[in-house]
Amino acid sequence: MTAIPTSAPRARRLAATPGQIALALAIAAFLLMFLVLPVATVIYVAFTEKGTSNFTLVNFYDFFRTELFMRSLWNSFYVSAMSVVWASVFALPLAYLTTRFVFRGAAIVQTLGFLPLIMPPFVGAVAMQLFFGRNGSINLLLDDWFGFKIDFMEGLNGVIFVQSVHYFPFILINLSAALRNIDRAMEEAAQNLGSSGFRLFRRIVFPLAMPGYLAGASLVFVKVFDDLATPLLLNVKDMLAPQAYLRVTSIGIADPMGYVISVVLIVASVTAMWLSARALKGRDYATTQRGGGGLAKREMTRWEAVLGYGTVFLILALVLAPHMGLLLLSFATIWSYSPLPDAFTIAHYGRVFGESSIYIKNTLIYATLAGGIDIVLGVAIAYLVLRTKLVGREWLDWMATAALAIPGVVLGIGYLRTFYGVTLPDGTPLASLWITIVLALAIRRLPYALRACYAALQQISVSLEEAAENLGATKSRTVRRIVVPLMAGGILAGFVTSFSTAAVELSATLMLVQSNSDAPLAYGLYVFMQSAAGRGPGAALGVVAVLLVAACTFLSHLIIERSQKAKGMGH
Amino acid sequence: MNANVSLTTPAVSVDIEGVNLSYGTNHVLKDVNLAIRPGEFFAFLGPSGCGKTTLLRLIAGFNQADTGQVRLSGKDISGLPPWKRDVGMVFQSYALWPHMTVRRNVAFGLEERGVKRAEVEQRVEAALGLVGLAHLADRRPSQLSGGQQQRVAVARTVAVEPKVLLLDEPLSNLDAKMRVQVRRELRDLQQRLGLTTIFVTHDQEEANTICDRIAVMSDGVVQQVGTPMELYERPANLFVANFLGTANILEGKVKGAGETRAFEIEGGFSVPVPADRTVPEGARLVFRPQHAGLVAAGTAAPGLIALPCRVVHREFLGASVRYGARIGNSEVSVDLPFQSGSDLHEIGTDATLTLPRHALMWLAA
Amino acid sequence: MLNRRAALAATLGLSLSASFATIAIAQAPSGKVTVVTSFSKDVTDPIKKAFEKAVPGVTLEVQNRNTNAGVKYVEETKANNQVDLFWASAPDAFEVLKGKKLLTAYKPKATGIPEKIGSYPINDPQGFYFGFAASGYGIMWNDRYAKANKLPEPKDWQDLAKPAFYDHVSIAAPARSGTTHLTIETILQGEGWENGWRTIKTMAGNFRSITERSFGVPEAVNSGQVGVGIVIDFFALSAQASGFPVKFVYPSVTTVVPANVGIIANPPNKAAAEAFIEFLLSPTGQEVLLEPGIRRLPVNPAVYAKAGADYPNPFTDPRFQKMIGFDVDKSEARTAVVDTLFDQLISFQLDALKGVTKTLHEVDAALAKKPNPQAKALADEARALIAALPVTQIQAASPELRGAFTGGKEKGARQAEIEAQWASFARDNYAKAKVKAEEALKAAK
Repeated sequence: MTAIPTSAPRARRLAATPGQIALALAIAAFLLMFLVLPVATVIYVAFTEKGTSNFTLVNFYDFFRTELFMRSLWNSFYVSAMSVVWASVFALPLAYLTTRFVFRGAAIVQTLGFLPLIMPPFVGAVAMQLFFGRNGSINLLLDDWFGFKIDFMEGLNGVIFVQSVHYFPFILINLSAALRNIDRAMEEAAQNLGSSGFRLFRRIVFPLAMPGYLAGASLVFVKVFDDLATPLLLNVKDMLAPQAYLRVTSIGIADPMGYVISVVLIVASVTAMWLSARALKGRDYATTQRGGGGLAKREMTRWEAVLGYGTVFLILALVLAPHMGLLLLSFATIWSYSPLPDAFTIAHYGRVFGESSIYIKNTLIYATLAGGIDIVLGVAIAYLVLRTKLVGREWLDWMATAALAIPGVVLGIGYLRTFYGVTLPDGTPLASLWITIVLALAIRRLPYALRACYAALQQISVSLEEAAENLGATKSRTVRRIVVPLMAGGILAGFVTSFSTAAVELSATLMLVQSNSDAPLAYGLYVFMQSAAGRGPGAALGVVAVLLVAACTFLSHLIIERSQKAKGMGH
Repeated sequence: MNANVSLTTPAVSVDIEGVNLSYGTNHVLKDVNLAIRPGEFFAFLGPSGCGKTTLLRLIAGFNQADTGQVRLSGKDISGLPPWKRDVGMVFQSYALWPHMTVRRNVAFGLEERGVKRAEVEQRVEAALGLVGLAHLADRRPSQLSGGQQQRVAVARTVAVEPKVLLLDEPLSNLDAKMRVQVRRELRDLQQRLGLTTIFVTHDQEEANTICDRIAVMSDGVVQQVGTPMELYERPANLFVANFLGTANILEGKVKGAGETRAFEIEGGFSVPVPADRTVPEGARLVFRPQHAGLVAAGTAAPGLIALPCRVVHREFLGASVRYGARIGNSEVSVDLPFQSGSDLHEIGTDATLTLPRHALMWLAA
Repeated sequence: MLNRRAALAATLGLSLSASFATIAIAQAPSGKVTVVTSFSKDVTDPIKKAFEKAVPGVTLEVQNRNTNAGVKYVEETKANNQVDLFWASAPDAFEVLKGKKLLTAYKPKATGIPEKIGSYPINDPQGFYFGFAASGYGIMWNDRYAKANKLPEPKDWQDLAKPAFYDHVSIAAPARSGTTHLTIETILQGEGWENGWRTIKTMAGNFRSITERSFGVPEAVNSGQVGVGIVIDFFALSAQASGFPVKFVYPSVTTVVPANVGIIANPPNKAAAEAFIEFLLSPTGQEVLLEPGIRRLPVNPAVYAKAGADYPNPFTDPRFQKMIGFDVDKSEARTAVVDTLFDQLISFQLDALKGVTKTLHEVDAALAKKPNPQAKALADEARALIAALPVTQIQAASPELRGAFTGGKEKGARQAEIEAQWASFARDNYAKAKVKAEEALKAAK
């Protein structure tokens, strides 16, 4: 009769309360209404026979028989897997050094490491080309000095490079959280038995952080698999997502293959998330143990410090190069086939502030609302999945996660198709209200917030809730007074991810924007980036967007830290 | 090395000399000097925050002293990193790696030392056999009970044949019954291996039952070192007396000198101080509950010190009865053996507290 | 077919002095008029300003979308349409809208606009959309890039097929860019189906990239990532105006591309929509096009009097006159087939095509030093393999093939099936061509 000190919360064998059932139904209705239905109105074409509208799978047969699609499928897998590898190479040192060592500026590194996620569309790609392109700054200098060039941005390798820089923060964030949760006794026990250095990391620290790493890596995999913007901007077309996009948006062509590919994307993404969830099952061992020593932050020796800071600096320089390029571009007069711009000006900012304050205001409103909706849904879904025994509760999770894989343009068209016929009493269509943009953004970013809320709830012991119920709190009051405050850090992290990525989202937005006065920042960027004269102002607007989101992110970090400290959970 | 785990080298001594350690302004260890003999089962005993775990981690290499040395058999190891010290530590949380099976956990240290695969497996079997868990080798730590986890942690540590075994509160995560059983097992194991072992605990009973000698620590300072009996019988100060077993403490002042020297406690009662006793500055009168007696008022036997008191409290403890007796404003405990049929003192009655002279101690803080 | 009733009526019936203002007042448009457009801010802002000044009381609400998204948007929102006008370059986008009955016919009152520019008809014969400006296609290059890579100055389309330009040329995919599509179609009509494709594929062997957006090409040339781009004139000229080190040339045969405007079916503010069209076609509206940031070619020849002397005038410049008689119906019948052929034979097989082309360039270089009939014959065989087509001109315009791409209601071949056939045709031929070309190279050396 001994206590088993496991940290994993026990699954509760309780039937759901009517309130929980109602909540589950409400969420299911919301997801059906704003995700499944709009998407279904678009992709059902994939299952219909040409000319008759009868159900058929012949389109899938075509898909698997077409060399281009098979090549695209393979390329998408290859690029996603390699992006995970490189993203890990960037994320691992940053996460490890800033969480397990006394590292001056760890908070700054973590914040800067988040920035690549907020790369504004279009202008980001231009900035990257100017730095890393075939005739970008680096290659021009290399060619000048050493007579060779490196194809950073060419073909599939270019996609891998850009994607891993862009999405590695997902691994950084999740891995850092997991590393922070490893009890120092785990590491010390290994040192005590003679292990040190890289062996210690490989055999003990990394395996223990595996759940966080896998969570981040699967997100990177799925995002890269489903992203169409980067390959298209690098003119790589033989990947699945660009193929779907090109086919869905070609005018005058009624080709079901675009929707077939969308279905394949959705299935592949959900499968990837499911596999990672399966791999994680029963491996919830990252939380600190009873009687443990908490987090260990080791001092670095002089040489370790030189190496550590050097590595962090190099990685940050690489992953922030696009932002540096963007900054330069925003101050550049002309920048063409030269390592640096010809001259500098602040005129672009003048133009942006004159014309774009409305975009900035709209973006803040939309992204905040979308982030808010996401965390409410995220908390609710996580709670239902982890804390109740409702039949089919995992479906809420899968449904919400599937949103990751739905191309923004498919969702955008689905919204127009589903909601444009619905009118308000005064005759304006539902879809023409800006709230539609908010809903689309919320659905698109829900998976991020959901994962964060899920992780946060997983780390809270059920006994804390049981104690509250034992003292007379109802389930809903327990959630409000105990669960939500304890999850605050995770919730805020989810909000930040949703908010900041929604702020630079374009694909669904572009379809739904009804008037300039309702347009968000990404739309403004798009408008600027359609002409040579708009490049500078576009970059300036991009910088404004990045700064805005970064400021909000940093603010949330501060709030998280303060609340953690207040609760004595800080380190 | 076959199925038998035993020391191939003679047991080592552990010498701690002039160790000071501060975290900022917080002086955690103050001039600690200890000499732990080869093969000894030694305890660091003290309340939480006394610095005992810090001292243990210092020996393991996880903390660095500001000044002073740690020597194993005379060799200074202060400059070595934890992984080169060959000092085995069992963590309070056990720190079993959840991603490895029991077997891989135990094999870890041997693998890190580059022991050949076949020998690793042999020695893992032996170590698990030693703690009686060979049959659970392929389980994961989360599938074991607390006691089993604790034994795996010990097996993992002794498998590498460390020079010294450090145990950080190894029993604190076990329930009361397991604790008694496991501490015996630990003692047996230590005896069999002849391994110099240091044991950190805040529980005096644990320390008393299994350790050869104990260092009592408080506030970063080693208060006293001795066998459990020495510490109980001859505590060096009030802290030690109070921490080991129950002690009655009465405040008062020394009055007079020579033959008439007496310790006057509050309430005006006076206790004669034997001529051979030194009473340090600010000392208080200390005695153990079982040394005192309680008789009906005015019936004290001659030769005993008698103090009038009032019975305010009574607890039945099985083999004995503990009374609370009020002397002036102070309350003291008196343990009397329980014999069935004998009369008990009633609460509220006046009585006389008797004390044999040899049982009295005057100790300062 | 090319009968321009609207233009005729305008020249016959209406006084030349009828100013735009009087028309506007007569119809008294007011309120908000919504336009979906692919034009950049640089174009829409000055026009919006001028329009709102010319027609007080009307606000122009600009929704900026790329052409494809714009068409989709109009299509998806037809049940409750809130858009008055569609305003974009590509005529094929308007053809799609027209085909889906999403446009309203209108008869502009403006005068002075001829029937054709070059040999391209300005307006839709049925009166559903109207050209308000024209642009010429040409070659744009980055001067710094050209100097650093020692590229000769290109003068004509054929130059781009030369070895010197290997891996330096960029174009937008015709399926994604209506204007590029017109260029391809012009070459096909001018040189014939077989020869046209031969020219296109020879040029394509030198392609650096095939971009997804029209603006992707000038963007890459502006920043110097690509040396040469096939673009519409205003992209290059407005970049020049912004100070980029780029140059532009009209080749001897240029394509004239009209930019169009049309009224959406069932518009919320029909009067204002008509007023906007009238404004665009009025002399005031046409003059706005001359602004450096817009720099399009007005469709009213009279307006050129106000332009600088070096402003290209498609009505007088012989380069624009050379353009072959462009058959709109022929073009329309095979739009999807041409675009898909381009994708399957070129875009998605670009690496293979470039591989052969590179070898052939090497063969040519070797042959120039030391003629070798056997090598030449092999190289010609390789070229023939590259040029081979999976469909004839007649098949390309057949209703069966067309139905496969446009979702015809009748049962028949599926687009995916046909694409797969074409792709494997191209892949096999390029692989065979590569073998031949390598044999040729061996023989030539």
